[in-house]
Amino acid sequence: MAVKRKIIKERVPTPEMPAEERIKSFAEVNLGYTFELAVKEAERCLQCPYNYAPCIKGCPVHIDIPGFISKLVQYRDDPDKAVKEALNVIWACNSLPATTGRVCPQEDQCEMNCVMGRVGDKINIGKLERFVADYAREKGIDEELLFEIIPKIEKKGQSVAIIGAGPAGLTAAGELAKLGYDVTIYEALHEAGGVLMYGIPEFRLPKSIVESEIDKLRKLGVKILTDHIVGKTVTIEELLQEYDAVFIGSGAGTPRLINAPGINLNGIYTANEFLTRVNLMKAYLFPEYDTPVKVGKKVVVIGAGNTAMDAARSARRFGAEVTIAYRRGPEDVSARVEEVHHAKEEGIKFEFYINPVEFIGDENGKIKAVKFEKMKALDERDSRGKRKIVGTGEYVTLEADTVIIAIGKHPNRLIVNTPGLKVERGKIVVDENLMTSIPGVFAGGDAIRGEATVILAMGDGRMAAKAIHEYLTKKREEKENA
Amino acid sequence: MSYKILEKKEIAMRNIWYRIHAPHVAKKVQPGQFVIVRAFKNGERIPLTPVMWDRDEGWIVLITFIRGRTTMRMASELKEGDELLNVAGPLGNPAEMEKFGKVLAIGAYTGIVEVYPIARAWQELGNDVTTLHVTFEPMVVLKDELEEAVGRHVLETVPIDPNLDFPTNMKNVTKRLTEKVRELLEKEEYDMVFMVGPAGDQRAVFNVVKEFGIPMKSDLHPIMVDGTGMCGACRVTVGGEVKFACIDGPEFDAYQVNWDELIARSGYYTDMEQRAMQEYMKALQGGEQ
Ligand SMILES: Cc1cc2nc3c(=O)[nH]c(=O)nc-3n(C[C@H](O)[C@H](O)[C@H](O)COP(=O)(O)OP(=O)(O)OC[C@H]3O[C@@H](n4cnc5c(N)ncnc54)[C@H](O)[C@@H]3O)c2cc1C
Ligand SMILES: Cc1cc2nc3c(=O)[nH]c(=O)nc-3n(C[C@H](O)[C@H](O)[C@H](O)COP(=O)(O)OP(=O)(O)OC[C@H]3O[C@@H](n4cnc5c(N)ncnc54)[C@H](O)[C@@H]3O)c2cc1C
Ligand code: SF4
Ligand code: FES
Repeated sequence: MAVKRKIIKERVPTPEMPAEERIKSFAEVNLGYTFELAVKEAERCLQCPYNYAPCIKGCPVHIDIPGFISKLVQYRDDPDKAVKEALNVIWACNSLPATTGRVCPQEDQCEMNCVMGRVGDKINIGKLERFVADYAREKGIDEELLFEIIPKIEKKGQSVAIIGAGPAGLTAAGELAKLGYDVTIYEALHEAGGVLMYGIPEFRLPKSIVESEIDKLRKLGVKILTDHIVGKTVTIEELLQEYDAVFIGSGAGTPRLINAPGINLNGIYTANEFLTRVNLMKAYLFPEYDTPVKVGKKVVVIGAGNTAMDAARSARRFGAEVTIAYRRGPEDVSARVEEVHHAKEEGIKFEFYINPVEFIGDENGKIKAVKFEKMKALDERDSRGKRKIVGTGEYVTLEADTVIIAIGKHPNRLIVNTPGLKVERGKIVVDENLMTSIPGVFAGGDAIRGEATVILAMGDGRMAAKAIHEYLTKKREEKENA
Repeated sequence: MSYKILEKKEIAMRNIWYRIHAPHVAKKVQPGQFVIVRAFKNGERIPLTPVMWDRDEGWIVLITFIRGRTTMRMASELKEGDELLNVAGPLGNPAEMEKFGKVLAIGAYTGIVEVYPIARAWQELGNDVTTLHVTFEPMVVLKDELEEAVGRHVLETVPIDPNLDFPTNMKNVTKRLTEKVRELLEKEEYDMVFMVGPAGDQRAVFNVVKEFGIPMKSDLHPIMVDGTGMCGACRVTVGGEVKFACIDGPEFDAYQVNWDELIARSGYYTDMEQRAMQEYMKALQGGEQ
């Protein structure tokens, strides 16, 4: 289908709220495409053939990217149809496009490979994906599609328990429900969504969007039991007696702390606590909401991943002066490019090559400054390809009345302590089918990877659903033949 | 899931009893564990302790001391038949169940309600348990229940002096508490002391117990958010190591706890809590609720 296309080098930009305005609220920063703008951007896509399209190869769940983009152009005269067709293509691989369109590191995945990059700007795949999902939700098109799918589901008469309602668990649940299994999710918190709900802030991923994605799962028949902590309320052993298979998507929820004096001073938050207070408990609306949070005038955030950016930008919205302190250099920052860019626009300062060695408090046990050792990079690289760093023996002190530690997380200990469950360095060990050392128990997402990404967690959820389907089909057949 | 309030009553001044339908907790809970409750849509998650339960009927009893906005709102806005939004749990580790011998189990204020299930289980296990409850005169709870459950229940009350402010009144409770502990330890030989109550009172009691060299366990109550080991709000230093009270505790060796740090951390939000309470009282008086 080699249609000759005109090459439009420049990306159609998405409108954004200006930085001065957005640091005053938690409203969403990026405003997304309109249909007209989306079509304009879609037209730039060269429609590389499916077997070749490098964007598809770069996508961890292999969405047919040119496939969905082409629908927007093909049905440009009928926006509803265009979106419905596009969504249908996306849903074949990804059930949470409103989320991934917003939070995936596209620049390292699909967009990194886009051939348009050789002649101009790469296609804005993430924002197109987001557009399709948002438009579909606003117009009820996603429900329409869903109700076309539901009657075709053939009940299997087998059941699966899912532990954790993060992207991994939600995806596995959705896929299994579509295959006809009875699915129940056990979620520790009072709300489903995992990091999408308690970690990623409203200004990047509005909670109403996550809720609507979860609503769809409920419509597919998925049961969600909140307030149920597996390992406490119910054990995996007990789940295995009640269900035919179990999927663990419990994430990497345990915050890592810095082993330095003063870590428990008041005013030092883990990013998880800070973001949970702000996002899940809506502390930015205190006292209308009951949960408090204290953000001082000078905030230091330690770390430079997505979590650090989210914490820093949230703190900025409380009116604080915010500095991100990172022990490595700018090239090692792991946060999404868009977030780093937004953070800088919002006036957040970056200090590189400094590593905290002591937290200094006042007489009331409250943080007032952080002492850092200055670091330097060597030419040698570590196993992750990052340049090794060493201390210089020189120190610098930054004043701070709030400190947020965002240096990473470990998998949830309550799950990892399950007898018979093989775990290495805190991560659950799985085979190539994502089955754990306990037969019938599968796992995916951050629980097996440590900290990863939403789309990788979703990819695991899909793959596990497929493996569980095979496992349960065999079980069913064995029973029938016996 | 519905967490219906099957029964609600004021059992003493500022002490409210709630019997709640929560079969998933009732089925599993052990003495020493807690739940996280969220009562309102714009509410906080707060830890509370199941005091009694019925595994077959699927209910638990929670007793709250009205301290701040959440416990106040629960007392004034919730009626029998209403539902709590969330009851998550059981969380934390069960209390150690062993034959310790002669045990002194202390509860300051409403802390005694958390002592009750543990003391009762210890007594049933063959320990000789003395419970000590020190509180203000109108705040006595579970007296009959404790007298029935353990070897000896000692109740010490302090009158509320209307001429003194509340902190000074509380100091009187602390004083009586430490005097009474000293008296009991001087008279008889105990193998172990256990306590639940405000961190300041726990430290004061620990300082007495330490002089006698008796092992002491403390149930610690740092501020919590999730209660599942996810947020790190509840961290305490125990034996020089950072522990999370919700998943490593809530019970710890009193000799190893960094009390000063715990006390400082427990008071971090006091100003904001007071503000929230004042605004709530204003709204109540203005008849807006
Ligand atoms: C602040 C922050 C920002 C991020 N930003 C991005 C981003 O921009 N892009 C991106 O791709 N990734 C981002 N990530 C990473 C991404 O969110 C995670 O990789 C992803 O959420 C992992 O999904 P999961 O389903 O494995 O686990 P989670 O999302 O962690 O969900 C696990 C769920 O399991 C529940 N659970 C845990 N233990 C139990 C138990 N014992 N019983 C019952 N339930 C339990 C938890 O409460 C939680 O709801 C970010 C992470 C954070 C913290
Ligand atoms: C494991 C555990 C078990 C508990 N069991 C009981 C119980 O059975 N009955 C009972 O009355 N109380 C219990 N508490 C204490 C109870 O959680 C607090 O009284 C309650 O959170 C106060 O909320 P508030 O909004 O009414 O008061 P606030 O005005 O918010 O606070 C008053 C004081 O309560 C404490 N507190 C506040 N928020 C929290 C929180 N999220 N976590 C822990 N402490 C907090 C602080 O010391 C604070 O200064 C328990 C606490 C823990 C940690
Ligand atoms: S690589 Fe780029 S141009 Fe080619 S199909 Fe994918 S998005 Fe379109
Ligand atoms: S309350 Fe969050 S880790 Fe313990």
